[in-house]
Amino acid sequence: MNSSSKVRRESGALWLLFALPALLVYAAFMAVPVINSMRLSFFSGSGYTLDNFVGFNNYLRLFADPEISARFFKAFGNTWVFFGINMLVQNTIGLLFALILSGKGFKGKGAFRTIIFIPVTLSVLVTGYIWKLILNPQWGALNIILTKVGLGAWAMPWLGDPRFALTAITLVSSWQWVGLPTMMFLAGLERIPEELFEAAQIDGAGGWLTFARVKLPLLLPVVGIVSVLTFVGNFNAFDVVFAMEGANGPPSYATDLMGTFFYRTGIAGQHPVGIPDMGLGAAVATVTFAVLFAGVLLANRLMNGREAQGAEPMARPAAEGRLRA
Amino acid sequence: MKNGKFLKATALVLALAAFCALAASAQAKVQLTMGSWRADDVTQMTKLLGAFNQKYPNIEVKFDPTNPPDYNAALRLQLQSGIGPDLMYARSYDTGVQLFKDGFFADVTSLPGLKKVYSDLARAPWADDKGNSFAVPFCAVSHGVYYNVDLFKKLGIAVPQTWEDFLAACKKIQDAGVTPVANGLADQWDINEVVMMNILPNFIGGAEGRLAYEAGKAKFNDAKIVAAFQAMKQLAPFCPKGFEALTYNDSNALFVNQKAAMYFDGSWTMASFTDMKFAWSVFAPPPPKGKKGFVTFHPDSGIAMNAKTKYPNECKTFLQWLYSDEAAAIVSNSIPTGFFPIASNAAKITDAHADAFLQMSKSHPTDVRFVWPKLMSGKPSGYNLLNDGVIAVMTGKQTPQAAADDLQNGLAQWYAPAK
Repeated sequence: MNSSSKVRRESGALWLLFALPALLVYAAFMAVPVINSMRLSFFSGSGYTLDNFVGFNNYLRLFADPEISARFFKAFGNTWVFFGINMLVQNTIGLLFALILSGKGFKGKGAFRTIIFIPVTLSVLVTGYIWKLILNPQWGALNIILTKVGLGAWAMPWLGDPRFALTAITLVSSWQWVGLPTMMFLAGLERIPEELFEAAQIDGAGGWLTFARVKLPLLLPVVGIVSVLTFVGNFNAFDVVFAMEGANGPPSYATDLMGTFFYRTGIAGQHPVGIPDMGLGAAVATVTFAVLFAGVLLANRLMNGREAQGAEPMARPAAEGRLRA
Repeated sequence: MKNGKFLKATALVLALAAFCALAASAQAKVQLTMGSWRADDVTQMTKLLGAFNQKYPNIEVKFDPTNPPDYNAALRLQLQSGIGPDLMYARSYDTGVQLFKDGFFADVTSLPGLKKVYSDLARAPWADDKGNSFAVPFCAVSHGVYYNVDLFKKLGIAVPQTWEDFLAACKKIQDAGVTPVANGLADQWDINEVVMMNILPNFIGGAEGRLAYEAGKAKFNDAKIVAAFQAMKQLAPFCPKGFEALTYNDSNALFVNQKAAMYFDGSWTMASFTDMKFAWSVFAPPPPKGKKGFVTFHPDSGIAMNAKTKYPNECKTFLQWLYSDEAAAIVSNSIPTGFFPIASNAAKITDAHADAFLQMSKSHPTDVRFVWPKLMSGKPSGYNLLNDGVIAVMTGKQTPQAAADDLQNGLAQWYAPAK
């Protein structure tokens, strides 16, 4: 008894020892900068030297200054739209792809899986640039095709019209990242025991009923993970807008996201002067962090609640935590 | 014994002397770095700096440019962290003044001969309000309207002298099935800097007009500014299909591929017009009927020295050489095509197109880009207000009057004379 508890205590200490290097790296490169950034949000100064404590003034400007708050709330709203469309399009299509790929007797599964996943491995700057060319109103492939098939009236300056630009960019993002939810849903589907399908079949369930009553409920934990990852990824999104439209979120700030707004205020400054307002930028970053933190906390609670209610807890796909959706 | 001591002493002295000589020569060989936003100009600047190195073999200046949009922020960060370049391109007006006020640029007012080669007016864009220079003026850029000479001949169009003529020419070109004007909105800055600020002096009466706004004697939403916004609105139907989503490079390509007949742009673009398949030239932006025409000749780059450089004397040697009579010809001919020297001793430009561009600013009174001298140091910046207004007017989201009102109200928030 005594010796076994001693071993347990020792292994506990040992565990801590093994975690220490990772903890140190995490603290040095994540925790400390994040906390420091929060600290900076209470300061102002010229350029990169922030030495003037201003209390909540940066937050006051962010939420109440007519000029700044208009940009902030626009970017905040746009980010939710960006997230909403991605949830709807990217994750639904991802689920659809996963269902098709997991279908019995589906030929060429490996090849399709690779094709769907390839865009994920490309740089956003590359795919953004390619799509920018495809959507170009003068020589872009999309408008040429539309005109050729007699839909010339539908040929729009997609990235230059405030009505379409954000949707166009979000769809490009969905196209690029759809491979991630596909892989995660696929992994989830492949872990559902065969007997359940057999039982459903014996009970007379067709394809739709099997999906709605067997596959979907058992996939719900994966749906939760995918949603959280999409949320985190989208609220930090910057690259796709930067590659396709630039840091100002044109046209008329229609594609301005939290990421581009932060970049403009906190890092690059406004062209042509280019002197950032780092204190305000830190305030934007802190607000973004708060939204993310609250969102993830809420999602976690919902997911844990489901598990506690007795829904089958699923073994999580191995790499999911590291994937970005 | 005595002899031995003497030998020893001699050897010691010799060794010391040799060591000192070595150290001296090592110290004399100095490498200076030069920061710049002109990443396209490595070849030309290497040539220029090579000529300096020939004259001063012990000082080598290394050209080390940054990606243009990142320059201001990157330079400030470098200077604040104490790793700034010894010499660097300095923006004109406020952006440069700020770095001077923060103590990063050295005061170069007392450089011998500086005031002789550059008039007060030429030094002003790189001087604070007390007239202290923080950089040696280097290059200016000009603005105009590029046009396809062959196409103009074919359609029987003369170079427009008034804004009304210009619109008539646009109509004629459009009727012939060619896009009249290549410019677009996607990159934002170009419609503001090379179109709006290109034509604006014609509508407000050049430098004199600008000074009236800056002094608060005229409101930013008066009839003249509204007329300029109105002109931008008139321009929109003559821009390419889908101009809302066309970038600066797209516009350039449309003009080069003869899909568009005219192209508002700055002189720096000339360098990309090599191997053109048609004759091209440039005209000054035409003023409205009965008004005087102006050319926007804008001070672009000065060369500043780091206040904390380890080699202040070498930096000064370079800056003095830069405007010396003997370097004038080298400077004039090795700064990139489309950039013009500011020094009074500058040599004649040999490139015919570039010279034509320069002559335009000699035959017209000139002014700088409207918002640069005073209107960019507060929030909201006059630059952004003008840019947002131009885009809103051209896309039909705002009337010219509403855009001008936004400009006035926005500036009134911080620019005292506008209140």
